[in-house]
Amino acid sequence: MALLKRKAGPAAPGVHPQPLWSFRPRSDRESGDAIVANFVLHWFPAKVARASLAWGYSFWLGTASAALLLLLVLSGLPLLFLYVPSVERAYASVKDIEYVVTFGAWIRSVHRISAHLMVAVVFLHLVRVFLTGAYKNAAGGGQRRERNWVIGVAMLLLTLFLSFTGYLLPWDQLASWAVTVGTNIASSIPLVGPQLRELMIGGREIEQATLIRFYVLHVIVLPGGLGALFAYHMWRIRKDGGLAVSDHDGQAAHPHPEPVVPTKTYSLLGVARGQSPVIRASALEAPDTTVNAVPDLTRRAAIVTLGTIAIVSILAVIIRSPLEEPANALLTPNPAKAPWYFLWLQEIVTDTTFRIGSFTLNGAFIGGVLLPGLLLALLTAWPWLDRSPARAAGRWFPASRRRQTGVFLLIVLGILILTFVGMFMRGPYWQLFWPWEAWPEIPSRI
Amino acid sequence: MSDKSDRRDFLVKLGLGAGVVGVGLQGVASLRSLVPNVSYDPPTTVKLGPPGDFPDGLKFLPDERLFVFREGKTFYAISAVCTHLGCTVRAEALPQPETAEVNGRPVRLTHRYLCPCHGSRYRGDGQNVSGPAPRPLAWYRLTVAPDDGQLVVDLADEVDRDFRLTVA
Repeated sequence: MALLKRKAGPAAPGVHPQPLWSFRPRSDRESGDAIVANFVLHWFPAKVARASLAWGYSFWLGTASAALLLLLVLSGLPLLFLYVPSVERAYASVKDIEYVVTFGAWIRSVHRISAHLMVAVVFLHLVRVFLTGAYKNAAGGGQRRERNWVIGVAMLLLTLFLSFTGYLLPWDQLASWAVTVGTNIASSIPLVGPQLRELMIGGREIEQATLIRFYVLHVIVLPGGLGALFAYHMWRIRKDGGLAVSDHDGQAAHPHPEPVVPTKTYSLLGVARGQSPVIRASALEAPDTTVNAVPDLTRRAAIVTLGTIAIVSILAVIIRSPLEEPANALLTPNPAKAPWYFLWLQEIVTDTTFRIGSFTLNGAFIGGVLLPGLLLALLTAWPWLDRSPARAAGRWFPASRRRQTGVFLLIVLGILILTFVGMFMRGPYWQLFWPWEAWPEIPSRI
Repeated sequence: MSDKSDRRDFLVKLGLGAGVVGVGLQGVASLRSLVPNVSYDPPTTVKLGPPGDFPDGLKFLPDERLFVFREGKTFYAISAVCTHLGCTVRAEALPQPETAEVNGRPVRLTHRYLCPCHGSRYRGDGQNVSGPAPRPLAWYRLTVAPDDGQLVVDLADEVDRDFRLTVA
């Protein structure tokens, strides 16, 4: 069914004559045209491997992350109009959003829940890509999947930093102590630390200059960076021939690849309109293993996106967003806990101060900078350290990657255990309690 | 032919180089503009009030994040900023005061300090006892203001733990 059809004359070369867009194409050609004619869909290929659409392979976690990012941008826009980035008025403006503005509490909850879910889903996406070895190049021939892995790791970092800068903005107790601890971790770096902290907070005290810096990072710099990386991430998937699971189809289809002729036009437009005489795309040569992107890919992407929107919208009705007491530099809450996704780091900085004789290594540096930095470096470099055969790409738990899969899962488990300890087993003065144990009464003032 | 293409190469490199230098310098300028030249931070020297207003024992001054101790005519001040990651420690009164010798001078320990962020613990004189804190709590210099006789703390001037201010 064509949504829009105008009277079509002969098209000039390079011009797409009509904004033809079809949910339910009647032919391959109409299906390809639906991609070419649509601004949003043009980053998809005309045909995709059937295997890459399977729910049980990717769990569509990347699409869900993108949907959450979309929700964050959409719900962030009204908040941008209502929030005032000043230390005197920030707290009151968030309080207004929560209690005075019509639908304000819901919009804030959508924003907050999307942010929490995005941290979780992006992390799970990384876990999925690692476990399926999807950063490996099974088809060879100029594939550069490891680059997309590095971009993905950078995007996870940006997601975390966006969350960090986001929960500072209400300028409540959580915010105040998170900035204090976060910037003091930066300050513990030898030589450059104190200057780095001064640059981060715009002075020596956490004040207006600090809030405006984190605000600008949160609303412009980091989302802009994430958006650019997201576009590049999607583009690279196209250039690497789709998801890693589809590499195996391509290999079978190309025993003797023909050389590409540089004078020909290999455009998607050509494919859609049947003009290019030579097409060397594995998808088109393997009709058994591929399907049209419209509607098979678009339908599932729509289901995932709409499902994500529905879940977040409903959760935002049920779960209200907390607002702690106004920022009080004089009184640290007891215990002062970071959000759940930073609790494992809070645990590490607690436990990594070492004393060798009279020499003390501060846990702030070891646990806050060195260990996470090493973990990050290892994660980034893993595609080059992974020596398993290329055919292990795009498969869950292949035998040739058993050992690295085990180590990876152990590290993930360690992070989860530390998160659990921080969440349920730390009481006043950060002492250990069993989850079922009652905390002692501590006077709120000294 | 080579002449012409040399010139073209040179001009391309010149153009690209100028572009890179131009954008790079703008980047440096942008970054430098974010390093503050003027500090609007509160002064580090703060008047705390007349010495007579301080009770014997401990008084917590939240604005300065400072514990001020008084024993008769002697005063000293210990920072409440945890040396690990900068949270404000809380003082907890000991059931029985103890006396410890610090730097050759006896100190009457009436409290201990606990940090709510990562569980560091300090003895009454600020000595770090357990938890991730790498250093003892700072002691700051106290003086008497020459104009009105108020107690003055200098939060930029750390002193040894045998420091005492005696007010006549």
